[in-house]
Amino acid sequence: MTDRPNEPWFGCLAPCEAHLPCGQGRHIVRWEAGALRLPSHADAEAELVLAALGGEKAKCVEVAQAWGRHAEDLSVLAIGPRGPADEIAVSWDDVDAAAQASGRDWSGYWAGPLGSPSHGPMRLASPPPAAAQAWAQVRQQQQMQETERAAQRRNDMLSLLALGYGFQVRLIGQVAQAHADRPDEAMEKVRPPLVAAIAGRLAPVAEEWLGIDPDQVVVSLRRGPGWGSVELTGRGEQRRLRVSLPAGWLGRVWAAGLALVGRHLVVAVDRAGWPDARVLALRAPGTEPVHIDVHASSGRPGALDAPHWEI
Amino acid sequence: MNRESAETFLRLLAEAELRDQLAPGPPPWAAGPGARRAKVMAVGQALTAVGALEVGTVEDILADFDLAVSVRQLRGRPGPGPAGTAAPAARPPGTGPVGQLRAKPAPRVAAQLRYGRSGPPVRPPRLSRSWMAGPTDPEPPGQDPDQGAADRFVPVGLTIPFHDEGISGDLYLMSFAHTGSGARFMAVWGIRTPLAQLRMGLQGPDLIPFELFTVVDDRGVRYELDFTPSGGLEWTGVISLRPTPPAGIRWLDVTPPLGPAVRIELDQGGPTASGGPQVSDVKLSPGEHLLIMLAEQLLTMAPEFPRDLRRGVAATSPGLLQAMTAALGDIIAGLEAADVLSPLSPVPARLAALCASLGVGGHGIAVPPADDLPEPWLSLLAHYQRRKPETAPVTEGYAAATAALPELDGIRLALLGVHNTEGISSLHVLARGMKAEGHPAPLGVDLDFPLSVWLRDSGGRWHAARPAGWHRVGHEYTARLRLVPPLTRSTTWIEVLAGGRSAEVRTKLPLRWGYPP
Repeated sequence: MTDRPNEPWFGCLAPCEAHLPCGQGRHIVRWEAGALRLPSHADAEAELVLAALGGEKAKCVEVAQAWGRHAEDLSVLAIGPRGPADEIAVSWDDVDAAAQASGRDWSGYWAGPLGSPSHGPMRLASPPPAAAQAWAQVRQQQQMQETERAAQRRNDMLSLLALGYGFQVRLIGQVAQAHADRPDEAMEKVRPPLVAAIAGRLAPVAEEWLGIDPDQVVVSLRRGPGWGSVELTGRGEQRRLRVSLPAGWLGRVWAAGLALVGRHLVVAVDRAGWPDARVLALRAPGTEPVHIDVHASSGRPGALDAPHWEI
Repeated sequence: MNRESAETFLRLLAEAELRDQLAPGPPPWAAGPGARRAKVMAVGQALTAVGALEVGTVEDILADFDLAVSVRQLRGRPGPGPAGTAAPAARPPGTGPVGQLRAKPAPRVAAQLRYGRSGPPVRPPRLSRSWMAGPTDPEPPGQDPDQGAADRFVPVGLTIPFHDEGISGDLYLMSFAHTGSGARFMAVWGIRTPLAQLRMGLQGPDLIPFELFTVVDDRGVRYELDFTPSGGLEWTGVISLRPTPPAGIRWLDVTPPLGPAVRIELDQGGPTASGGPQVSDVKLSPGEHLLIMLAEQLLTMAPEFPRDLRRGVAATSPGLLQAMTAALGDIIAGLEAADVLSPLSPVPARLAALCASLGVGGHGIAVPPADDLPEPWLSLLAHYQRRKPETAPVTEGYAAATAALPELDGIRLALLGVHNTEGISSLHVLARGMKAEGHPAPLGVDLDFPLSVWLRDSGGRWHAARPAGWHRVGHEYTARLRLVPPLTRSTTWIEVLAGGRSAEVRTKLPLRWGYPP
C-alpha cells in the first residue's frame, strides 16, 4: 500500500520561498521540509524577547508566528485556495491596510446590535437590576475581545495568504495532516471541515478528470487502512462520484499538485520524492489503482510553487 | 438529531457557493456574494433554530466564508498583485521595496473587508436580536418566580375620559392581568385635543399626566402608574401598578384628572373564553415546526410585496420575496441531513405549494407542490387573491377579551385584548416561559416566540398573528401580535388557535368592542 505512516507528508513538496517587506528591506521566508524558516533572522527567538520588551517586531517574525498559530487551524482549509486556478492575490500593501483598519475602527461594527434599542419605556417600571447591568458589561467586554480576536485572525490569514500560492497549499497540507491521525473519538469535531476541504478541492479535479458536475461529487472521510474508494453511481441528475479518501490526501497528494496526473486521479503517494515520485492512481472510477512513476517540472511561468507532474 | 451531518451540510453548502463563483462563465460575483452568503446564513440559522448546530459554529463558518470571499474579491482588481510569489525578478508590479510600498496607500483590502458586499468579515455578535422590536435583552438567569402563582386575567373594556391643562382624551382599559410579576392593565390612549407638539410629532405619550391619575383598591391602598409602550404602537401599552397589589382585591377605582372615579370590578365576569380551551396533541418534528413558522412568516409578509406577486402573476424581477425564499430548498435539505425532518414529511410540499400560490419561484424545493394546504393558509391566500384585499375598512377600536391558554412547548400565553389602530390589528398577549435567546432565524422568524398563532373571526376568515413587539417585565413578556389581515370591528367573536410542536390549543372568545368617540 501507500502513504507509509513513517514517511513525512511533505515528501513530494519542493522548498519554496517568498520575499516580504521587513524593516527597511525585503527578506526571504523559506518553507523547507515541512518547516518555515527565516534565513534573514539568525535568532528569531531573541528578537521575540526584544519585541516583548517593547521593541518593534520584525514582519518576518510576525509571519512565522502567524504560521505557528494556524498550523492546526481548520479555517485555513475553508479560506485557502482550492487549486492553482483559484488565485488568491493578497499583497503586503493589503496586509498593512487591513492591520491599520483593524487598529482604527473595526469596533464600530458592534455599535448596532447592542447600542440601538428599538424602543424604550417612558417610565421604567423599575430600573434594570444591578445583575443585568453587570451582565451587559460582561457581554460588552466579551464582544470586544471577540472583535480583537477576529481582527487578529483576519490579519494573520492575510499575512499567510500574502506569502503566495506555494505557502498557501503547504499550510493547507500541514493543517490537514495535523488532524489526519486523530483518534476516532476526536474526529466528530474535525470531520465536517475536513470533508468540506477535500470536497472543495477534489470537485474541480473530478470535473477535469471526468467532466462531472462538481456538485455531483460526494466526499466522505476514509479512516483506517487502505487508500479509500472512488465510484461512479447513477445517471443524469442522479449521477454521483462517491469518493472516500483520508484527510492526509490533502497534504500528501493535493498540496503537492499531484491530484491529477496524466488523466489519472492520484489517490495516494507510494514513494514520496521531488522531483520523482511513485503514486497510486486511478484511470477511471471503480477500477483498481495502478502504480505510476511521475516526474515534476516547473508549472506556470512565474508560478514556481505550483509544479506540473507528468508520467 | 445528527449534528455532525448538519455541520457537514452547511460547510459543503458554503463550498458550493464559493465554487460557483470560481467557475468560468459569469463574471466573478455577478450574482452578488451577498446573496450567496445570505443562503449559507439562512441555512445556518435554520440548523441553529432546531438545535442541530451551535450559534458559534455557524458564526465560524460564516466568518471563514466571508474571508474566503473577501480575499478572492481582490483578484483581478487594478493595482498590486500577489505578494510573496517567487523571486524578486518575477515580482508583479507594485510589490517593490518597502519604501515604495509605504508610499502607496492601499486601502483596498480594508475597504473591501469592511464594506464588501458580503458584509464585514468579522464574526457576528454571539447574541443578536432576532428582530428590531424583539426582546431587548437576553433572559437573565434564574427561576421563573411566577411558576405556580395564582394568575388573574380580567377583561375590563372601560373608557376613562381625562382632562388636563394642555391635553385631554380617553384611557381605554382593555384588560387587567395580575401575575407573580405584578399587576397591570393593557391600555390604549386616545388623545382628543392634540397639542402642537403632537401634531408635529415631537412628543409621545409622555405628555400624559400620569401623576394626576389615582388608583385605589377596595382596601384603600393607593397605587402609582408606570406606562410602557407595547411594541411599536406608541399609544398602546402596559400600565403597571406600583406597588403590586395583594391577591384577592375586588376592585380598583381609577380617577383621572378632572374626572370622576371609574370602578373596575375585578371579580365580575366579562367576556371570557367560552367552554375553556381545547387542547389536542400534535406531533411535529423540529424541522416541520420550523418550516411551518417560515411558511406563516411568508404568508404574513406577502402584503408588503407588489400585488401582482400576491395574485400569483409571475414576477418580472426576482424581488425581495424571491431572494428571501431562495434558500428554502437548501434549508429543507439541511434539516433532512440533520435528521430533524423526515423525507416523507408533507410540510415541504405544502411550502412549495404556498410559494407557487404567492408566485415565488427559485426556492429550490425539490418536492412537487402539495394539493392540500391548511385551512388558515388557504383563507389567507384567498384574501390576497381577492381583487382589492386591502380595501376592507379597519376601524379604530379595541376589544376586551382575556383567556389563559394551557402551556405550549413551555410557553404560557394569556390573551389580553384586541386593538385596531392605523389600519393595523393587534392581539395583545402576556407570555411566560419564553427563552429570549435572540438567535436570528431565516425570513426574520422570531424564534423567541416559537408558536403558531391564528385567529378565526366570526365570519370564518383566518388571521395570522405574528410577533411585532415585546416588552419584558421580570420573567414575563407583554407582546403585540400583528394580525394579518386586520380584524374588522364587525367581528363578534374570535377563535384563537395556538400551536406548538407537541400540542395545539383552541379557545373561543366573545369580543366586546370599545371605540373612540
